[in-house]
Amino acid sequence: MKSAITDAQLIACLDRIAQQDSAALRELYDATSSKLYAVAMRVVSNTEHAEDVLQEAYLTIWRVAGDYKAPLSPPMVWLGVIVRSRGLDFLRRRTAERALQGQPMDDALADTLAAEQDTPMDTHEASEQAWALHECLRKIESKQRQVVTMAYFRDLSHSELAHQLSLPLGTVKTWMRRGLDQLRTCMNRFA
Amino acid sequence: MNIAQNPELLDRLAARYAVGVLRGGAGRRLEAYARQSATVRARILLWQERMSAMMELPSPEQPSPNVWKRIENSLQTMPHRTVQSSPVLTQLQARLVALRQQLNWWRTGAALASIAAIIGTLVAVQNAQSLEGRGQQIAVLEKQLQQQASQQQVQYVAVLADEKSDASVLVTFDPDKRRLVLQRVGGYQEAADKSLQLWALPPGQAPKSLGVMGSDKVIKLTAAPDQIKNVPILAISLEPKGGVPSSRGPTGPVLFKGALLQTVL
Repeated sequence: MKSAITDAQLIACLDRIAQQDSAALRELYDATSSKLYAVAMRVVSNTEHAEDVLQEAYLTIWRVAGDYKAPLSPPMVWLGVIVRSRGLDFLRRRTAERALQGQPMDDALADTLAAEQDTPMDTHEASEQAWALHECLRKIESKQRQVVTMAYFRDLSHSELAHQLSLPLGTVKTWMRRGLDQLRTCMNRFA
Repeated sequence: MNIAQNPELLDRLAARYAVGVLRGGAGRRLEAYARQSATVRARILLWQERMSAMMELPSPEQPSPNVWKRIENSLQTMPHRTVQSSPVLTQLQARLVALRQQLNWWRTGAALASIAAIIGTLVAVQNAQSLEGRGQQIAVLEKQLQQQASQQQVQYVAVLADEKSDASVLVTFDPDKRRLVLQRVGGYQEAADKSLQLWALPPGQAPKSLGVMGSDKVIKLTAAPDQIKNVPILAISLEPKGGVPSSRGPTGPVLFKGALLQTVL
């Protein structure tokens, strides 16, 4: 279960960052960079690119920490959303640059559904919501799970998913529907 | 078709919307329903909160030490922001944030996730061991509360609970009598120099105070129907004694939160 102290510390840190305390940014980085790096990897799939994205994300956090409102969202979610935004910006810029230069879309960005490792979740720091989601996602078939998580991390529509995975639209829609149906049944049991 | 009355369809659409694949005309139709129905909004917000937990799932990985070095270098070359402390400026900034939230309210992406995360899952009695057991107990508690409420002609109820899903405050609202009744059911008691303050969280707007709670077990507050009607979520924050003005918004941590339900009348 998520420790309330950890959340409160992050919130206090963000408050100090909003006051331009750069030591506080360092503290936030030390506490969160490995988690946010993992999020960046889910968005851009490439180590080097993920590091660029991570850097952009922390510079964004430095600028907008004052916008964070604790009652509206847990800090890790707010931070994760910033990472995803910078990741998506990165992907769009890259696609645009390559198109301008007449190059085909990156291999790095075109995905295949890989076999995933089932990494156990560190439950000490996870929120109850995250634990429930993790448990329910685990029960879904791999292909179906991956279209659901890809859609979220990369903000993709059905047709964009189909394009990136080189799959028929119908197949992606079917997997998404089945994955979400199973997810809904499972999550609704947890209420 | 009234999707507010078709829970399975609503659940399916809300989950799709939250994951980001309900777009175009279908997305706009759902948004239109959401503007008219607190039930629809509550379901969407619930799924958005669930999906946002995906941010916590990827297993941590160490980035190279160069990343911090590059951040540090960039900080030094950034123009120094003047720390703005004037109250006028603070108010303007708050309005800007609220405006931004309104504009982004129904679009997928960053702003939605940040607003959605606070939906209250109606939660369990303290001793339930498994999440599944808690889920069942939630449903029972909800049903009991709704039945009691409809017998007393109360139209709205909420169970406010903490992060561990322990129910702490039960809320009922009778719009005809303009009366909010709060009942403390958990063991929480605030310190002598603090007060609990109740907030309505209307979508796309800043939180609005519904009043400061006294230390009694049963507390009655006055509220206009408009303050409650289209609000999907209520929250209680810990404030200095006497509370804070509504325009400031919660200054302390949110201790309890829950979805506002309409009773069947």
